[in-house]
Amino acid sequence: MEQVDLTFVRDCISQTGREKHKVLRILQALQTNYGYLPQPALELVCELTEITPADIMGVSTFYNQFRHKPAGKYMISVCVGTACHIKGAERVYDAFKRHLGISGDNDTDDQGLFTVEKVTCNDTDDQGLFTVERIACIGCCTLAPAVKIDEITYGHVAVDTVSTVVNDFLRHAETKAAHRKKQKTKDSEKPPVGEIRISLDSCCISRGCGKLHQATLQALDQTGIRATVKRVGCVGMCYQTPLLEIVLPDGKSHLYARVEPRDARSIILRHFTVQGIGRKILSTVSHTLDSILTDESDQPITRYAIDVRDQPVADFFDRQKQIATEHCAVIEPVSLDEYTERGGFEALKKCVNQMSPKEVIEQVERSGLRGRGGAGFPTGFKWTTVRQADCEKKYLICNGDEGDPGAFMDRMLMESCPYRIIEGVAIAAYAVGAAECYFYIRAEYPLAMEQMKQAIDKCYENGYIGDKPDQFKANGFSLNLKIAAGAGAFVCGEETALMASIEGRRGMPRLRPPYPAQSGLWGKPTLINNAETYALVPWILRNSGDEFAKLGTEKSKGTKVFALAGKVARGALIEVPMGITIRQIVEDIGGGIDGGKRFKAVQIGGPSGGCVPAELTDISVDYESLIAAGAIMGSGGLVVLDETDCMVDIARYFLEFTQDQSCGKCTFCRIGTKRMLDILERLCHGKGKKGDIEQLLELAEMVKKGSLCGLGKTAPNPVISTIKYFRDEYEAHIEGRCPVGKCKELIEYSVTDDCVGCTLCAQHCPVDAIGMLPYQKHEIDNEKCIRCGTCRNVCPEDAIKVE
Amino acid sequence: MLKLTIDNRDIEVQNGDTILDAAEKLGIEIPTMCFLKDCDPSTSCMVCVVKVEGTNSLVPACATVVRDGMKVQSECPEVRQARTAALELLLSDHLGDCMGPCQIGCPATMDIPLMIRQIKAGELAEAIVTIKRDIALPAILGRICPAPCQKVCRRNSFDDCVSICLLKRYAADADLKSANPYMPGCKSANGKKIAIIGAGPAGLAAGYHLLQRGYACTIFDDHEKPGGMLQYEIGREELPQDILDKEIGMVFKLGVQFKGQSKIDGAGFDELRRDFDAVFVAVGPIKPDDAKRFGLEPSQKGIAADNKTYQTNLPGVFAGGDAVRNRKLAIRALADGKEAAFAIDQFVMGQEVTGIAKPFNSKIGKIAPDRIEDFMQGVSTEARVDPTEGDSGLADEQARLEAGRCMHCDCRKPDDCKLRIYAQSHGARAGRYSGERKAFTRQDDHAEIIFEQGKCIDCGLCIQIAARAKETLGLTYIGRGFSVKVSVPFDGTIAEGLRDTASQCAKACPTGALALKQQDQP
Repeated sequence: MEQVDLTFVRDCISQTGREKHKVLRILQALQTNYGYLPQPALELVCELTEITPADIMGVSTFYNQFRHKPAGKYMISVCVGTACHIKGAERVYDAFKRHLGISGDNDTDDQGLFTVEKVTCNDTDDQGLFTVERIACIGCCTLAPAVKIDEITYGHVAVDTVSTVVNDFLRHAETKAAHRKKQKTKDSEKPPVGEIRISLDSCCISRGCGKLHQATLQALDQTGIRATVKRVGCVGMCYQTPLLEIVLPDGKSHLYARVEPRDARSIILRHFTVQGIGRKILSTVSHTLDSILTDESDQPITRYAIDVRDQPVADFFDRQKQIATEHCAVIEPVSLDEYTERGGFEALKKCVNQMSPKEVIEQVERSGLRGRGGAGFPTGFKWTTVRQADCEKKYLICNGDEGDPGAFMDRMLMESCPYRIIEGVAIAAYAVGAAECYFYIRAEYPLAMEQMKQAIDKCYENGYIGDKPDQFKANGFSLNLKIAAGAGAFVCGEETALMASIEGRRGMPRLRPPYPAQSGLWGKPTLINNAETYALVPWILRNSGDEFAKLGTEKSKGTKVFALAGKVARGALIEVPMGITIRQIVEDIGGGIDGGKRFKAVQIGGPSGGCVPAELTDISVDYESLIAAGAIMGSGGLVVLDETDCMVDIARYFLEFTQDQSCGKCTFCRIGTKRMLDILERLCHGKGKKGDIEQLLELAEMVKKGSLCGLGKTAPNPVISTIKYFRDEYEAHIEGRCPVGKCKELIEYSVTDDCVGCTLCAQHCPVDAIGMLPYQKHEIDNEKCIRCGTCRNVCPEDAIKVE
Repeated sequence: MLKLTIDNRDIEVQNGDTILDAAEKLGIEIPTMCFLKDCDPSTSCMVCVVKVEGTNSLVPACATVVRDGMKVQSECPEVRQARTAALELLLSDHLGDCMGPCQIGCPATMDIPLMIRQIKAGELAEAIVTIKRDIALPAILGRICPAPCQKVCRRNSFDDCVSICLLKRYAADADLKSANPYMPGCKSANGKKIAIIGAGPAGLAAGYHLLQRGYACTIFDDHEKPGGMLQYEIGREELPQDILDKEIGMVFKLGVQFKGQSKIDGAGFDELRRDFDAVFVAVGPIKPDDAKRFGLEPSQKGIAADNKTYQTNLPGVFAGGDAVRNRKLAIRALADGKEAAFAIDQFVMGQEVTGIAKPFNSKIGKIAPDRIEDFMQGVSTEARVDPTEGDSGLADEQARLEAGRCMHCDCRKPDDCKLRIYAQSHGARAGRYSGERKAFTRQDDHAEIIFEQGKCIDCGLCIQIAARAKETLGLTYIGRGFSVKVSVPFDGTIAEGLRDTASQCAKACPTGALALKQQDQP
């Protein structure tokens, strides 16, 4: 038995408590402390608490977050979300393993008949420095492919930049301690001369906003300019980050896009005057430089300066309508003052002080608001049911377990406008008569968890929530908010599974009815809504339900936030009125397809949704039209596909995801999705046979009808919709062809006569499948070739052929 | 009270009752696997799905609470298709043999693994019952059978097959030698008469099995002595006269009449058809022209007969053995006799003549070399006992040693595994969906039960039972999704996991994943 210091276990339990439902929190603490879950520690937990061995093993093996074996010092998590997948995440994953000398994870015997259990995890390098794993979507879709090493996220990682990333990380790890010390903010005595806004949500940080933030502080320090540097929430223009906005006292705003840290100083000097004599001298030199830089003809700055008057930016914003994301890019996410200055908590005060719960619900009903988590259930109706439930104790849950690969709306909302969600939750709590609320936030969103936590703390401090909080002393309104951290299980987005998870059980859905509104968390009536739904509520109460209902279509009211990613020119987070067409989103807001390729389809709704082909994208974005087209609104992931994307591969990708995330309870989902995946894998490996498409469709229908929960019932959608619109591609795979040249086993790389012998391909090939032949036509050894596509990307002559 | 209809029949139930409760009241049988009274419904197997009118999806009857005015369909094609699909999906991830390869390989489908367990335990009286259920002449066959069972024995993939044929002979010889050799119980006479033409293995077997079903049987043969090819074609060194006479004698002792030296011609045949309720033709190899003379339709090999029901073109006339197949395989002829007896019984009793239904069988197939070890747990690794010198058969000690070499591939719940029962009744095909399957594992360390994860359908009844009884370790789900499995926490053994509830769990288990070791007597 391994030797483990168990003092931590005792300390941990004395803090968390001994109840059964604390199991997830205890496991998370153990994992953070030990890096994995040592068995002696787990056994001790069982001794000291009400948790049984069966509980702790069942729970700890259910969630992806937990490891039962030690991991390397650093964890490399390759995001395999949709956007990352279509941009080559699997190849990046392979490249990391290759780079670190970790052998493959092949665990199946030659005949493919039997699976040998993974006794040894082939995921850690020999030195125990790095562990490589796949991770469910981390919501940085506009940076695809994204890779997280510990807390640092790298965007746009390619097969041939893997070594650079690893080296950069190691350099960073060395200087990490030094960096930490530097972070302190100085308060200025004098009034600020203006405001510099930098967006610091998690995807922006990984695109260099953190460094830009540092550089800005440094520049201000050197120049003595007393401008306030403010971290703000997501601006939505992910394709333009790092963004830096300068707001002058007169309210004029200047927006700079794709700013490098070294440019921070010049941009600041352009708008602010240097204070103090000593610094003036210093700035003379800089000023000269500055004047050069501000010259109209000068590239470095003008290239970055963008303006809402510019057509692309106008297109980007004009079609949008910000309700859930209101003020996101303007206010500091966890600043309560800034939120209240812009009307924050007015809606809550109005509700609690002037309206009866019934009147509140009436407004929500009039607004026509439907759940933004995916199914589109009428929100007002849900609230009424919980309100009418005859029970003293009721619960509220905010579902922030946004697990759809390719979706990051909830992450952005929680990171950028935590108070709006809290206000929405508080209004709902008042309306249904609940005094306790859980925010269930997925493990992959550490920043969201942190921002929510800070915001909740401030709300307690300032008397917005708590037991009879100061702001509502007279009204007997009480509300306590808690955060429950998910642990990596997509199925926990399903409401009954989510509640099981909060109760400290495996996240297994159960049969409904009873619905949570009747019998939910710990058997009590429970209102559960998605984070985005709650974020819309304050606006509705401030502006009236009728005002909200003016937006959108007859049955789908208001706005919807979408995460626009994939092969689109402007990957972004957008909020649009319902009823806009998919084409408008892709072409006007998204700027069309990146790189001049042909627009093929849009995947909407993630693993529960479907692919809408380009020809049909003139349909309106509303719940009913999307379902009719074979997709669903889902939580709002919108991944654009171009002509190089293989639809069979896309279907396989989603099935692999849902199959992997199935809780394993009911036969149709557990085995049915697996058998569907088996067929799709056969197809992608060129081993398809006649009748496969028919069997896929037949299984799809069974899984849809017979599965217990939404995960299984919708899992076949990506398959059904791709067969419906792209059946010819399936047929081609049965014949052993992948028409777009994506499926590795069905393609071969070769060099055409256009080759000029530049040797770039040979230099970049990660497996030495191309010999170095200067000034001659190169050749690819298809035995060695791993079809990673690097040669094709680096070839300046477009001389690599794939067929 | 709430009103609902199931398959258009009205019923009233209490508030809170499930559709399954309502169906039970109506006497409508809904198959269930993961459901057990007094346990929380786990809604896992989905074999109990029904259709509720007005909804698109199907719901599990075991957990769906009745709403007033519900209209439920439990037998419509959609429901039946879904149930079959659920079963077929479960089977596609079910790593277990219902019957051992030997039993499938045996033409008479004798329950070989059970016989071997009985021999190993020294229960020879029980072993002969097992043998004679399917093989009327085991001592004889024990000497002349080419033993197709041994060719498919899984032990071949480890070293060498088990000497099944010798073990059978060992038990049969011991029985013949005893003061009171085994006589099967017979139903009281039903007044029906069957004529059997030919006293070879097929005819004798048919008589043996028909008599047990209450029929009066007369065997006609043109030879003086019964036995057919056993008597006249096989050397006495191989098959001693005393064994032959004694074992055949047991058939007549049971009550079968023998009329030797009676050659049946065309007219005589018609007479038999008139005087008896059915005729079984087991005359051995016969030329097609000779068949025609009896008015029987010929085939290339002799008489044309249905290969399941043994019916010929003439109503009430059945044919089997070498008269139909000309295989020169005594065990096949014996099996024909047994199977024809079943069909003849159906015919005479006025039932639909279907023959013995082929039992549903799930198969593991070839075992990966690295999984053999699992199979070999608790199995003797000794070399095969195969005495070649003389004709002494196995001595007691040898028999026990050899019996210890059996890997017991068969399922311990062949008759009460719900998966098998429903697979049979729904016509589910085990190979419908193929792909990755569970690994084979066997845990044999518990005194009362055996645990084979490959057969588990992940319903979790055992987990519930163990948790309720507050077992210290109990059982839990490990992992999730397709790779989820039921295991003892902290890598404990099944003996450590189930200290008090082992037999309760085994009884609750819908398949043979958890099975009592002692449930061999059907």
